[in-house]
Amino acid sequence: MVEHTTDLDAVFRSLADPTRRDILRRVMHKELSVTEVAQAYERQMSLAAVAKHVQVLEHAGLIHKRRAGKQQFIAPSPPALKSASKYLEGYRKLWEEKLDRLDAFLKNSK
Amino acid sequence: MEPIKEVTLERTYDASPEKVWQAWTDPKMLTQWWGPDNVTIPKCEVDLRVGGTFYIVMEAGEAMGPYKGTQWPMRAEFTVVEPNARLAYRADAWTEGMKDETGIDQTTEITFTEENGKTKVKVIAAIYKLGPKAKMAAEGMQMGFTQQLEKLNVFLSSRK
Repeated sequence: MVEHTTDLDAVFRSLADPTRRDILRRVMHKELSVTEVAQAYERQMSLAAVAKHVQVLEHAGLIHKRRAGKQQFIAPSPPALKSASKYLEGYRKLWEEKLDRLDAFLKNSK
Repeated sequence: MEPIKEVTLERTYDASPEKVWQAWTDPKMLTQWWGPDNVTIPKCEVDLRVGGTFYIVMEAGEAMGPYKGTQWPMRAEFTVVEPNARLAYRADAWTEGMKDETGIDQTTEITFTEENGKTKVKVIAAIYKLGPKAKMAAEGMQMGFTQQLEKLNVFLSSRK
């Protein structure tokens, strides 16, 4: 199963960077070429820097690349993102439950 | 180092900050509410001072099926101890027997603020590193959630 092989640490580390989150957002609903993505940041960073961010996203399993002729297209890969959000949901839920129990405890020990 | 993920929660409790602080720092009280449902707390040690150790072990109960008996320890070091106001610790939590793969490095900061006789509690839980199998541990603990409300009801009615 894909989900169980997701390296969540790499996924979260990858998503911790605002530029990479922005790149992921751009390719989420529309497949874009690396060049097209780089154009969006042409005033802020080089093509090489953008390509590096894309590579980090790819290693985390958040996107995959498809080669078509000379172009490389980037498409999102949902399982990694899904398993990251599931993990977070679970982590938050653990805390919610813990705080609920604290409430019950305080009410009972009055 | 920047956290890879941060979760913030807020609750207001109908109790004084002193009372909530005590529930959070007295091992005898911690064992009565800490952790998700269907776990017991076989061990809890609190050395309440900056640099002191906070060690707590959760153990999966009957309702967790295949996870029954699994232990999830957390070893922390207090970084902030301001009685009735602020508590913070840096912790390593893991599944017993799989420490390297399941480790979660995290920090937790809890602030206690009095508001009209009640206490607002804010928890900031930040994750710094996740072992490759950390997900499974979280899943195991979540298995108990479905029966959470039920158990809480039983607990509450038994104490009436």
